[in-house]
Amino acid sequence: MDEFDDKEIATLLRLKRHEQPPPGYFDNFLHEFHRRQRDELLRQPLWRIGLQRAQDFMFRLNVPALTSYPAMVTAVLVFAAIISLKVYQAPEPVRLSAQAGPAFAAPLNPGSELTLASPVATRVFTAQPLRNFDERARTHRAAPPRYVLDSVPVSYESTFRF
Amino acid sequence: MSNTVALPSIARRLSDLLSPGVGANDKPKRKAMDRPRTDEDQKLVARTQSGEAGAFDELVVKYTPRLYGLVYNMTSNHEDTNDLLQDIFAKAYKAISGFRGKSSFYTWIHSIAVNMTLNFLKKRGRRFHLSLDDVDASIQNDKEFIELTATSSPVREADLSELQRRLNEAMMKLSEEHRAVVTMFHIQGMPHAEISKILRVSEGTVRSRLFYANRQLQNYLDEFRKNPVS
Amino acid sequence: MSRPSDFKSPAGFSEGISQAVMGKSAFALILCLVAGSASAQEQSATSISREVKDVFARAARAVVKIHGNDEHSEIFGTGFFIDPTGTLYTSYTVGGEAGNFTIEFDGKKYPARQIVADVRSGMAMLKIDAATPVLTIGKTEQLEVATPVVTIGYPLDLPETPSFGMIAGFDRKYLGRYFSTTHLRVNLPTQRGEAGAPLLNLKGEVVGILVSSLENNSSCYALPIEAAEKIRSDYVRFGEARHGWIGINVSEAKTPVEGSRAEMADIMPDTPGADSGIKSGDILLQVGRTKVHEPEDVLDASFFITAGDTVPITVIRGSEKLTFDVQADFHPASKRPAMSATLEPNRGIPLNLQPPPKK
Repeated sequence: MDEFDDKEIATLLRLKRHEQPPPGYFDNFLHEFHRRQRDELLRQPLWRIGLQRAQDFMFRLNVPALTSYPAMVTAVLVFAAIISLKVYQAPEPVRLSAQAGPAFAAPLNPGSELTLASPVATRVFTAQPLRNFDERARTHRAAPPRYVLDSVPVSYESTFRF
Repeated sequence: MSNTVALPSIARRLSDLLSPGVGANDKPKRKAMDRPRTDEDQKLVARTQSGEAGAFDELVVKYTPRLYGLVYNMTSNHEDTNDLLQDIFAKAYKAISGFRGKSSFYTWIHSIAVNMTLNFLKKRGRRFHLSLDDVDASIQNDKEFIELTATSSPVREADLSELQRRLNEAMMKLSEEHRAVVTMFHIQGMPHAEISKILRVSEGTVRSRLFYANRQLQNYLDEFRKNPVS
Repeated sequence: MSRPSDFKSPAGFSEGISQAVMGKSAFALILCLVAGSASAQEQSATSISREVKDVFARAARAVVKIHGNDEHSEIFGTGFFIDPTGTLYTSYTVGGEAGNFTIEFDGKKYPARQIVADVRSGMAMLKIDAATPVLTIGKTEQLEVATPVVTIGYPLDLPETPSFGMIAGFDRKYLGRYFSTTHLRVNLPTQRGEAGAPLLNLKGEVVGILVSSLENNSSCYALPIEAAEKIRSDYVRFGEARHGWIGINVSEAKTPVEGSRAEMADIMPDTPGADSGIKSGDILLQVGRTKVHEPEDVLDASFFITAGDTVPITVIRGSEKLTFDVQADFHPASKRPAMSATLEPNRGIPLNLQPPPKK
């Protein structure tokens, strides 16, 4: 029989299950996912970050009266207003460090022939060590230890500027 | 630039697999990849929806290997797969508060995955770039692989490694929808019923797509068989 | 999956000598010459091997395994001491976003604290309180493509391990994305756990920090040591990294002027560039010590500017060559807002996932 038949095709296809990504890929995936989530968070408009933080704060307070919808909305708006006021004291082009990424991914000169990868360039970090990572370890199922060697650099520039 | 499957190139004879001694009358046993328990998923979803940190992470860790297989075999590109997986989980995370449990989480997230991958492939069009993963050492313990490589015959020699490469090329020639069903049924081992739920088509459609896709793959591989040098 | 380094064994000199043609004395002479050059080849092969072993023997003590905890799990990486009081360099992926650090050194464990974590460069500095051996700092300008190099790292849960290879290139970008500064691309095998390992020349001087791997770990990128030293210098002066900012976007000029195609495009308002006298359309020739020939060169120039420092910037306008001394402000990517802002300095975003949006 010269032709391939269904069984052979099925077997060959099934063997494709063994095509796997490089070792350590899955261990690293969650970490990458969190990093991207953070990047996205930093790219949101400031008012929304403020609103979410306020919501989060209210939620954690867990005060029954405040969890009623209208009360919560009011509280959140007040909170957001306070944060917005504080933040917008900064001069126009230099925004809060959290927004530094998107605010300064300045559009390329239209005449430029160079196209650089979008989107966000270098991002912000806090120099303080992460709080509560012990606490976090308790809420997570114990993840296997991660031997670090990423396959991409941690930051990149999106425009030529100095 | 495609990575060839890193298998030793030894002569094989595929038809031996079908010789009477191996039981040609038996349907080849298809083992689905472990189907996760729905009640575990339900608990994790509930915990995620209630705002518990870490619950969604457990779902990510659980589903990444499965979804990787699905997306990778449709795109044949590791880097695209990685990006798509990130987008898939991001989308699932955003949408999870609206997940009511009408279908299982398994079905729900597979739908998201298949649809995003199909959209991606359609946008990308015919220009594709193979970036294949190496074959893991686990293949050595695969029963069918052992059977394939244990038999040898001078009658018909096919280089298994070359064959796998051709198969990957043939897969890319299928339409995106056909590649999806082939991946889900043959590679991921999902039953017709599950595939039809994920794609929201009838089981009949699933079967006919599989039938057609198998024919296509056979034709491509036969062409290779007839013209091995290319 | 490490691959053993490729050492060519000395060529088979015994081939091709036609004994029948030569007289005995001639033969003896040839044999001596051949033996001499065979042993010279052998010597050079074994001398590379010896040099690599020497580098490893001398440097390994200063290279340490780093253990930490991040939000998800324990992490392991590599670092190395650069001063005798326990200051060490590692990659940002190891020392930047984790805590609870312990360093294994000389068979003992020491707690370590993070003193600098800089995303832009991709490096971090930790410190232990102990007297430590030190790696000497080298110069990347002495490196060329094919210069042999060595790394020493802690792969997986294995002990300190050398790897040998060579400089493959000096890259500004990777897969279309530009680095913050030129990186060294190195062809040597690496394994997980080796982020933060030192890249050493055959004199045993450190010329880079291993920051990421490519292509199934058969090559890697290293941050040039000068970039790390810049951050350290900022830390010594100010207690933190201080990336500088002038506020000018650069694009490609249609025709080169005096060897440069870098043209000032937008000058952002309220930046040192805006007040400097530099105009849009000026062709950039030099920033600080960095000569500029194309827009890409600005990346390196920018990286080495420190906020608060005055930078001489040379441009051509028409036929005039002008130099402006501009005082750099804080780079927008650094955590400190502009010197004139009234915000608290350590404001940041919590690094955890927000709970899913409530409907």
